[in-house]
Amino acid sequence: MKKTALLSLLLFTFIGCSESFDVDLPFGEKESINPGIENAFASTYKPMQSEPVLFKSANIYDGLGGEYFNYDLLISDGKISELGKSLSEEGVLVVDASNKWITPGIIDIHSHMGVYSAPGVSTSSDGNEATSPVTAEVWAEHSLWTQDPQFALALKGGVTSFHVLPGSANLFGGRGTTFKNISQNIIQAMKFPDAPHSLKMACGENPKRVYGNRKQSPSTRMGNMAGYRNAWIDAVEYTDGMNETDPDRRPTRDLGMDTLMGVLNGEILIQNHCYRAEEMAMMIELSKEFNYKVTTFHHAVEAYKIADLLADEGICAAMWADWWGFKHEAYDMVQANIAIIDQARNGTGCAIVHSDDAVGIQHLNQEASKAMAAGNRAGYDISKAHAMRWITSNPAKAAGILDQTGSIEIGKDADVVLWTGNPFSIYSRAEKVLVDGALAFDMNDPTVQPITDFDLGIIQPQTNRAQ
Amino acid sequence: MKHFSITLFLIFTFHLSAETILLKGGLVHAGNGSSAKIQDILITGNIISGVGQNLTIAGNTRVIELNGLPITPGLISPMSNLGIVEINALDVTRDDESDLLKAGFSIFNAFNPHSTVIPWNRSNGVTSAISSPGESSFPIFGLGSHFLLDGNLEIKGSRDIAMFGRLGSSYGSRAETISILESLLDIGAKVSTTPVEEILEMSLAEKFELQSQDIIALGRVVNNGLPFVLETNRAVDILQALALKEKYSLNLVLVSVEEAPMVIEQLKVSKTPVIIDPMDNIPNSFDELGSNLELGKVLDQAGIKIMFSTQRSHNYHLMRQGSGNAVAYGMSYESAIQGMTSTVAEVFNLGNRGIIKVGNLADIVVWDGDPLEPASFPKIVMIDGNIQTLASRSSKLTERYTNKEDKPSSYKH
Repeated sequence: MKKTALLSLLLFTFIGCSESFDVDLPFGEKESINPGIENAFASTYKPMQSEPVLFKSANIYDGLGGEYFNYDLLISDGKISELGKSLSEEGVLVVDASNKWITPGIIDIHSHMGVYSAPGVSTSSDGNEATSPVTAEVWAEHSLWTQDPQFALALKGGVTSFHVLPGSANLFGGRGTTFKNISQNIIQAMKFPDAPHSLKMACGENPKRVYGNRKQSPSTRMGNMAGYRNAWIDAVEYTDGMNETDPDRRPTRDLGMDTLMGVLNGEILIQNHCYRAEEMAMMIELSKEFNYKVTTFHHAVEAYKIADLLADEGICAAMWADWWGFKHEAYDMVQANIAIIDQARNGTGCAIVHSDDAVGIQHLNQEASKAMAAGNRAGYDISKAHAMRWITSNPAKAAGILDQTGSIEIGKDADVVLWTGNPFSIYSRAEKVLVDGALAFDMNDPTVQPITDFDLGIIQPQTNRAQ
Repeated sequence: MKHFSITLFLIFTFHLSAETILLKGGLVHAGNGSSAKIQDILITGNIISGVGQNLTIAGNTRVIELNGLPITPGLISPMSNLGIVEINALDVTRDDESDLLKAGFSIFNAFNPHSTVIPWNRSNGVTSAISSPGESSFPIFGLGSHFLLDGNLEIKGSRDIAMFGRLGSSYGSRAETISILESLLDIGAKVSTTPVEEILEMSLAEKFELQSQDIIALGRVVNNGLPFVLETNRAVDILQALALKEKYSLNLVLVSVEEAPMVIEQLKVSKTPVIIDPMDNIPNSFDELGSNLELGKVLDQAGIKIMFSTQRSHNYHLMRQGSGNAVAYGMSYESAIQGMTSTVAEVFNLGNRGIIKVGNLADIVVWDGDPLEPASFPKIVMIDGNIQTLASRSSKLTERYTNKEDKPSSYKH
C-alpha cells in the first residue's frame, strides 16, 4: 500500500541510530592508542573574516538561564568579549539592538541535513547504510552534500551548529559529526573544530523492522539487545588487543571496531535513538555491562516516564515538542515531556529540543516555546530564560562543544543570534546570525544571505532560487 | 442504507442538554475578516443567539467572564486523517486507503469517533475536520468527509464533500497523469446523460477498472460542483490544473502550490482557493523549487482564499503555528484566522459554521493567549454549543507522571 511521500520520508528519516555520550565524562584525557585514527578527516574550519561589533541595549538570554535587559554585548576576534552597560563604542561597528533580543546561536543535536538533502531524491538518500545491523564503520560526514539548500534555511532560523547523524535502520548506525553552519564546498571545512564524534545507536521498531523484513536478525527487541551485546563483546576484545604493548599482538585494524573502541575509551559520544522508557532503561543497563556512557537519548517520547533515572545518570534527552503517533513507539506523547525532564531531581535534568527535520530545525525557538508553555500548564514554573537552555547550552553539552559555544559567556565563540523580538514569540525572526563573530545571515541584506550552488539559476537562468 | 446516507449528509442535532451560556467580555475574532473586538457571545442550545455588548440574558444563563481572552470560531482542518488513521506505521490501524475503489472511495464509514487523535486535536482547538483518503498511485484518491470532533458514536458530519487527487511528479509522467485526469473527467461528464451501467462497460472505465461508485463520484465533480482538491506544486502544473478547471468548469481547490507566486495572476483570475503549509519552505522535490516562507503573503495579497494543512501527522492543530509563521512573513492576521475557520466552511460548503455570528452553530474556542502563538492553549472548547472536555490520553499521562505519590504508576489514576 502506498503511503504519502511525506510519511515515507518521515519514517525513513526516523530510521536512524542515535548516539549518546556521557556528559560527565571528560574527553581527551586518555592517550590515544592510535593517534592516526583521530586525525583522519580533521576539521579545517576557519572562521570567516569579522570586525568587532557592539550590540547596544540588547535584551539577552545567555543560554544558561540568565537574562539581561538593556545590556551591551561586544564581539571581537570572533569571540564574546564583553557584556555590560554602556560599553565603549570606539572603533567598533555599533548595532542598535534596543527592543530586540540576543541569544546564543541555536544548536540542533539531531539533524540529517546534508545526508538527506533537498530535494529528497533517491540519489541524495545517504543517511542510512541499511545493509547490516552493525555499521559502526560508516561516518555520516562522508555522505554530506555541501550544497544542500537546507543548511542556509536553518541558518535563517538562527541555527549556528548542528550535529549530523546517520539514520536509525541499524543497531549501530555509524559516526555523527558536528558542523558549524557555514557552508563550504569541502566537508572538513564545515566541521566544528575539536568536536568529538558520536556513535549512533538505535532501539526499537526501526532495526527490527528493517532486518526482520529481510528474515534476518534482529527481528525482535530481544534480537536488538543481543545484537548490541555481541558487538560490544567484540569491541572489548578489540580494545584490549589494541592496548597490547607489543604491536605484533594487536589485532588488524577494523573501522567499525575503531568506533566502538572510541566509545569505550570515552572519546566518542553515544547518541541513542530510543523512544520507549523501558528500552532506554535497558540501554543504560547495557552501557554499564560494557562500561561506556550514554550521552543522549534521541526522540525520547517516553523519557518523562523515567525522568529521575535520566537525571541520576546524567543523560540528556532530546525530544520533539509534540510529534507523535506516526509509529507505535511514539504513541505516548505528552507535551510536558521536555519540562518534566528539565525539572527532574530538582531541576538537574538535561532536556533538549531537537528537530530531526529540515523544517523543524528552522523553528526550534517555537518548539521550545510550546514545550515551556505545556510544562507550565502542567504545574511547573519555567522561565523563558531557562527554556532557552533546551536549544543552546544543553545541545552543546550533548555534542561535547559546550566549552566553545552554546552560551553567551566571555571568551566563547561568538555564535549569536539577534532576534527582531522575543524569540519565544512566533512573530520574531532571526535578524542577524553570527558564526564566530562573522555575520553569516542578515535578513535585511541580501548580500549576507547564503545561496548554494544548487540555488543558482535553477528556476530561471538569470536569477537564483529565493530562500 | 438510503435513510442512513440522507440523515448523515448534514445533521444539525439539537442538544436539549446544552445550557444557555454567555461568554462575557472576550476578544472576539469572528472569523469574518474584520479585526477583533471585545464582545459577549450568547449561546442558546447549539446556536449562537447573540453577539455584541450588553446582551439581554435570561436568569438561568451561565455567565463565563473572559476578561479579554481571545475567542475564535472552532478551528476546522481542511485536510486530515482524523478518525481514519490511528498509527501511521501500523496498516491495521489505517482506513485511508482502498485496493478496489478510486475516485469513489469514501472514508466516511471508517470514521472512528474514539480515536485518541480526536481528543488531542480537540483540546488544542480543532472542533471539526475534513478527513481525506491517503495518497495513492492513481491520481485520484477518493472522497473526503467532514466530521465534528465531539467524539460521539452518533457521528455528525457531512459525507463525501470533496474529491482528492494530485498532479505532479512521483508516479510516472505527469503528461500521463493529466491524460488520465481528463479521461476520468470525461467519464464523469457522461453521468448526466448516460446510465452508470452503460458507462461501466466503456473501454476507458474497464481499462481503469472503475466501479460504479467511482463513476458516480466523478459525475458529482463534473456535473454538480463537488470540490475537487488537487495537490500540485510546479508552476506549470498549476497552470495545467487551472486549464482543467476551465475546461470542465470544476470547483477546484489546489493544495500545496509552492510555486504559486510564479503564476499568481492566473491563480487570482481563476479565483481558486488553496490549502498551504506555510512552514514548508523545503524544496523537497524538483516540483517545489520555488518553495518559500512568503507563500502565504503573496497569496493573501492577491486576494486568494487560503486554508492550512500541516505536515505533522496527528497534530492538525499545528495549522495555528503554520498560519502564525505566515503572518510573521507578511500574511494578514485576520486572513490567517479565516484560513482556519470561515474559509474552510465556505469553500467546502460546511453550512453555518466557521464564523461567530447570530444563527451559526456554536463551535467556539476561548484561548489563554494569542491564538496564533503556538504556546497558547484553549481554555474552553465548544462544539455545537456543548463545552467539551480538554482531557486526552496525553493529559492523562501527564497527570500520572507528574503525580509524586510513591507507588507504581499503574496505581496512579
